[in-house]
Amino acid sequence: MIPVVQIVVIGAALFLVANVLGRQTYAARAWKKIALSFLAGAMVIAVLFPDLTNQIAHFVGVGRGADLLLYGLTIAFITYALNDYLRGQRDRDALYRLARRVAILEANKRYDI
Amino acid sequence: MKKSGVDTEAVIIIPVYNEAEVVASVVNSVLKHFKYVICINDGSRDASSEEIKKTGAYLIEHPINMGQGAALQTGIEFARQLPVKYFVTFDADGQHRISDVHTMIKKIKKGDFDIILGSRFLGETIGISASKRILLKLAIWFSKTTTGLSLTDTHNGLRVFNKKVADNIQITQPDMTHASEILEIVADKKYKYVEIPVTIEYTDYSRRKGQSIVNAVNIGFDTLLRKVSK
Repeated sequence: MIPVVQIVVIGAALFLVANVLGRQTYAARAWKKIALSFLAGAMVIAVLFPDLTNQIAHFVGVGRGADLLLYGLTIAFITYALNDYLRGQRDRDALYRLARRVAILEANKRYDI
Repeated sequence: MKKSGVDTEAVIIIPVYNEAEVVASVVNSVLKHFKYVICINDGSRDASSEEIKKTGAYLIEHPINMGQGAALQTGIEFARQLPVKYFVTFDADGQHRISDVHTMIKKIKKGDFDIILGSRFLGETIGISASKRILLKLAIWFSKTTTGLSLTDTHNGLRVFNKKVADNIQITQPDMTHASEILEIVADKKYKYVEIPVTIEYTDYSRRKGQSIVNAVNIGFDTLLRKVSK
């Protein structure tokens, strides 16, 4: 039988990547905030109840709680990195369009076009 | 046309980045054949701008360095304002031949195609390294897989296209990835395209200036990312 964790982790990873790559709707942005709050909350609980992560890990079929945290962290990091890369591209695109407009307007003035 | 003097129907678009050594001689040789020549100085840190000013070409100055793809888009947008029918993209380092441009313009004037692409593998390539040859072959396979276009050379800087293409084209990839992006646009808008053989001269200068082979990884990644993201 496939451990639950494999389905959950792979499912979550695909969902998050699809979310990042998809259209930046209000819903997508809202989900990102919910996921972030959830992560922060989970972090606090994990610190307060150290045994809990182990119990959850055993429940979903992972050896140790630390492994589970590592999976979660990896997914969060990849999502973050991809999100950041795409945002960088969008920002750059806006900046370049602006710079291009400036360059053409300046040239038009010089050549009286 | 060459024999009847200077061509006034085509505009030559030349992105320039740190090419002070050669740009004036390249531009001057182009100006002998074409009335409209546009140089986009892409934030060069050398004397490229001054060198271009010595010639009779239009000079557009990017306030910051944005990459060759971005420079081409700027040149195309400026060229839309000129009374021309055909648009030529040309490299500043002197690796392209003007005789090839004449052949391509002759071809596009017949009206059967929207865009004519230069191919160094249909033609003669002087001084290309073995690693570069393998890389360019890989690029062909990659391009066929991602766009469905059957080409022999996907990263050739020499292209001629008509006003329809020039009015619609929107290159968003600022760096070398623009070559793949242009092909995606051709495939997407179903422009009629054809390749014709051109000669590329790899001089020591152009080899030194050429893009490094590992950049193919960046191009591949960005192309795939563009495929999956909206």
